[in-house]
Amino acid sequence: MEAKKTKTKAVAKAAKSGNNRPFYVAVGVLLVAGIATLSYMSSQNKSISYTDSIVTPIPNTGHVMGSDSALVEVVEFGDFECGVCGSFATLTEPDVRARLVMTGQIRFRFMDNPLSGHRYTWPAHMAAWCAGEQGKFWEMHDAIFQNQDRWVRPRPEKVLANLAQSVGVGMEQYDACMSSGKYRAQIQANMEEGQRRGVGGTPTFFFGRKVIPTIVNYDTFKANVDSLLKEAKAAAPKKK
Amino acid sequence: MLTALVALIGLFVAAYLALYKAGYIGVLACGTGGCETVQLSKWSTLFGISVATWGVGYYALVFGLAFAATTERFGAVKQIPLVLAVLTGWGVAFSAWLTYLELFVIHAICRYCVVSAVIAVLLFVLAFLDWRVSSRSSRTDP
Repeated sequence: MEAKKTKTKAVAKAAKSGNNRPFYVAVGVLLVAGIATLSYMSSQNKSISYTDSIVTPIPNTGHVMGSDSALVEVVEFGDFECGVCGSFATLTEPDVRARLVMTGQIRFRFMDNPLSGHRYTWPAHMAAWCAGEQGKFWEMHDAIFQNQDRWVRPRPEKVLANLAQSVGVGMEQYDACMSSGKYRAQIQANMEEGQRRGVGGTPTFFFGRKVIPTIVNYDTFKANVDSLLKEAKAAAPKKK
Repeated sequence: MLTALVALIGLFVAAYLALYKAGYIGVLACGTGGCETVQLSKWSTLFGISVATWGVGYYALVFGLAFAATTERFGAVKQIPLVLAVLTGWGVAFSAWLTYLELFVIHAICRYCVVSAVIAVLLFVLAFLDWRVSSRSSRTDP
């Protein structure tokens, strides 16, 4: 019996040591492939790229906050259902507005880029445009982002209407606007402008020719604005 | 062996999400935007650590145990298959909870989380089968 046990152990030992080579090779291959893929993906995070300088300026669409005389314009392609856009709008944008827009350093443009995977985003974009018709775009923009947890669900129209009402939008005109879907083409045009510029996800920011396709904190935002302002100021005398 | 390989794949999926959460990967290659909604929701953190990082720890543990079971030194330890079966069973339960949150609370689906959930189920099936084989063989041993 003892002999049989020893034999069984020996067989198991042989199997484990001898037949494991393909397994170790597979582990090695997977490790190398996995690490290489992750390294490649993190290097893509440099995600900052530059558009061709020939690309024409963004036409006067979307919604703009700030002075026409501001030297530079920063553009955000955003989606109202996108959680990251919501984080930017609620955490960083208040600082951007107070320190950069209101001080006349930049103009900030929001372009609609409703993502195809977001089921409830279109009504939100329409609601923002309908509020914008009554001069309340930015109020509605903020309310929509601050209340994503309330309206990102089936049949969001009612919650969006409540938000519109809470920011002082006249409901008769708002309801008529929403039922007509009159801004659908405008939102679509913004999306197409984004596609033309290679916008893949949201938020994507354009600081002049520089593209940052992800959320940025205030310091990064400010650093990009500063370098853009420097360029703009350097270029200004040449134009004269 | 297969358990270790599958756990290693899971480890890389979780590492990808953890790196995103830590800010090393700027944009998730998700396509739908649902990944970011899920990853930035309040449910993506547990006890101050991102769920993806917990996932890295979980898959690393499963991989370590499954790998150890293939070595001469630990191959004969009968408790390893049982521990793996229990651990991966817990992984399935946790994945089910996360999938429920995605579908009914966050209302967004992260495809990497779905891949992770499938891997968790696969790991449980493999670990369970392995445990049954090892417990049978130990019963038949004189």
